[in-house]
Amino acid sequence: MWRTAAAVLGLVLLAAPAAAQKQGGTATLGLELDIPGFDPLKVGVYDTAARSAAALMFDTLTRLDEEGAPQPKLAQSWTSSEDFKVWTFKLQSGVKFSDGTPFNAQAVKFNYDRMRDPNNHCSCAFYLSNIAQIEAPDELTVIFRLRDPSVNMPALVAASVVTTAYHSPAAVERLGADYNRNPVGTGAFVLKSWVAGDRLVLERNPNYWRPEYPRLDKVILRPLPDAQARFASLEASETDIIWDDNFDNIEKAEKDKSLVVYEYTGSGAAVAAFNTKVAPFDDRRVRQALVMAIDRKKMSQAISNGRLRPAQDPYGAGSWVKCQDVGALPYDPAKAKELLEDYGKPVSFKMVVTATPRGRMGGQIFQQFWKQIGVEMQLDQVDQTTVVTKAFKHDFELTPWRIIDSADPAAQMYANFHTGSPVNLAQYSNPELDQLLEHARATADKTTRIKDYCEIARIINHEAVWFWTFQNTYYAIAKPKLKGVAKLYSDVIDISESWLE
Amino acid sequence: MLGFAGRRLLYLVPVLIAVTLLTFLIAALLPGDLAIALLADEATPEKVAALRHEMGFDEPLAWQYLHWLGSALAGDFGRSFRTGEMVLSAILQRLPVTLELMLFAQLIALAIGVPLGILCAVRNGGAFDRLMTAIAFGKLSLPAYMLAIVLIYVFSVRLKLLPATGYVPLNEDIVGNLRSFVLPAVTLGFGEWPVLMRVLRSDMIATLQEDYIAMARAKGLRPWRILLVHALKPSSLTLVTVTGIGIGRLIGGAVLVETIFALPGIGRLLIGAINARDFAIMQGVVLFVATGFVLVNFVVDVLYGVLDPRIRHGRS
Repeated sequence: MWRTAAAVLGLVLLAAPAAAQKQGGTATLGLELDIPGFDPLKVGVYDTAARSAAALMFDTLTRLDEEGAPQPKLAQSWTSSEDFKVWTFKLQSGVKFSDGTPFNAQAVKFNYDRMRDPNNHCSCAFYLSNIAQIEAPDELTVIFRLRDPSVNMPALVAASVVTTAYHSPAAVERLGADYNRNPVGTGAFVLKSWVAGDRLVLERNPNYWRPEYPRLDKVILRPLPDAQARFASLEASETDIIWDDNFDNIEKAEKDKSLVVYEYTGSGAAVAAFNTKVAPFDDRRVRQALVMAIDRKKMSQAISNGRLRPAQDPYGAGSWVKCQDVGALPYDPAKAKELLEDYGKPVSFKMVVTATPRGRMGGQIFQQFWKQIGVEMQLDQVDQTTVVTKAFKHDFELTPWRIIDSADPAAQMYANFHTGSPVNLAQYSNPELDQLLEHARATADKTTRIKDYCEIARIINHEAVWFWTFQNTYYAIAKPKLKGVAKLYSDVIDISESWLE
Repeated sequence: MLGFAGRRLLYLVPVLIAVTLLTFLIAALLPGDLAIALLADEATPEKVAALRHEMGFDEPLAWQYLHWLGSALAGDFGRSFRTGEMVLSAILQRLPVTLELMLFAQLIALAIGVPLGILCAVRNGGAFDRLMTAIAFGKLSLPAYMLAIVLIYVFSVRLKLLPATGYVPLNEDIVGNLRSFVLPAVTLGFGEWPVLMRVLRSDMIATLQEDYIAMARAKGLRPWRILLVHALKPSSLTLVTVTGIGIGRLIGGAVLVETIFALPGIGRLLIGAINARDFAIMQGVVLFVATGFVLVNFVVDVLYGVLDPRIRHGRS
């Protein structure tokens, strides 16, 4: 569906200059969550709702084109040192925050320094741990000095997330605790009013630095927590586009001629990690047996009417890492039973799941698969924050995790699988794997990197320290009159360049 | 009368202390606290400890509670750690939505429950009475969210008569405001009328057997006059009590209804605060709700006196 829409959009853009798009109008975006605010120090991370809002009110240094390659936005150009540890970005001149103060290298540095300051206790600092230092030698030059190489940094800073929203230093300092709900960025839209729990009203930024944008006069963002009511609000034309992950709604929308479904399968996957330091998961045979007992097709059928795409590696369809053979263990319960017989002891354990209908359902399906090979699994239901705490304390036997959609696998793969990394949940250590991870993240040549990452996936699949269930797929449902919806990179609904027909 | 009111108001103090203390303890027992929620992926044990210390969470629980109580008494309910909103203004901003929702819901429940209760009492045991009893039990077991979705489907998606979600402030557009409350209030009120009908019916059946009603009939008063003037008032004691206690249930229902219809009320504020371990907001909402509940039931107690002078004068 998305591919067709994208192809058509591409043709339109080629055929007609931007001026042909209609100006004006109001678009209403229905989101799931209530946005707590935009100050990184207060909110730590942006959820899907805040990220979609940030795409309207803030600009990123770069943007991703249809192929996922970085293109200039706030940054005009960039260069890196040979070891990919120093990146220099040249900024667009003449850009102003919507409060009239200039956007410059000092402002970029201010934002990063503020997020990284240990005294500020920002959970966002986690995502910036690779930055050793930021320099602003002149108005329009920002230098990132990194601890570890980052080959694809320009693509990574394109995602609309908490660490890529540049706030007006003047506004941050002037408003203090009130800044959180009165954000000031450089984006195409500015915050006009905010009724907590009901709506954010954004109006076009009259001084926006890209004169052809925005095309809409107004965007209204509404938190609609109930999936059914959110979908009904779209059917009743109260919203023009909604975030959705309810497969019944998506199927219904696909059959409805008055609605358009945007679908994007990104990189990454929903995954689970074994704690290889505790029995029975210190034995590879047990881990392999459990993985071989999972019938992902059947599971997808049960959860999503077959929509979720089984994952064989941690990269996914949206990644540029494409492998011929990743050595994924096949679904083979007979072989799984053999492995367990070989192991010789009865296997029973607890799996951590989130105490949500979806978390429970996934857990119960695993329970059934593993029961068939004689394994007893109990669910340890905890809330989302507890999943994270338990995982970091290695207080689990098997825990769910996620590899998020990202323009480059280096950071997450290194953190998840390199010996000694705090996020190496499985506590697995393998010199060969370490060497491949180090090589892959410091190499520029794409073909070599793909070879490395495929080998990495093969090792992890064979060792079965983590397993992947489904790829990350994101959805938005819209009225056809809303055009110019960007590709749903990292689950962000970006309508900053949209128009109404 | 004043002494009566004063005594009842004094009850408020221990009730509020007990309620806030309980919330405090429950919040402390929840797995994962605000420090962990705030730090998320950064939640290493050392950082959690540092942040807990900064926020005063490592103080003894009793001391934390007294500290909160002291500030609250001085009118300072604090700021939300997560959003930076002042707790009091966050609550005051959302309170009107929930109050309006509960008022309409209770009115709808009374408008359905009272006439039906009277009719059932009059035709006690008749076909209508038995039918209504069946419907009432059926309704009591129908979950509110199901009704909500059906209403949205019929009135918003199909007929396009009423908004499916959202809220229009009263001072912006009165008609729009009322329209935005119709479906939520009907959903919430529909769960309430069966209870009201049942209690009014049984009280009324008892009243109708009193001698003075037989007397009124003998005097040749019109039946509707006997029912509405002479029988209804003394039969409504339980009804008034249930209506008052119902406020508590309505607040619970409001959480659900506000979520489905995306109304920016207290219920959703509370849910969000619980999920985010936003303790300041949680405590503030609980305090407000508890005060409201106690005050409503105080009004109910006063109404008893109005309805039945024997209570007012302390005789039975």
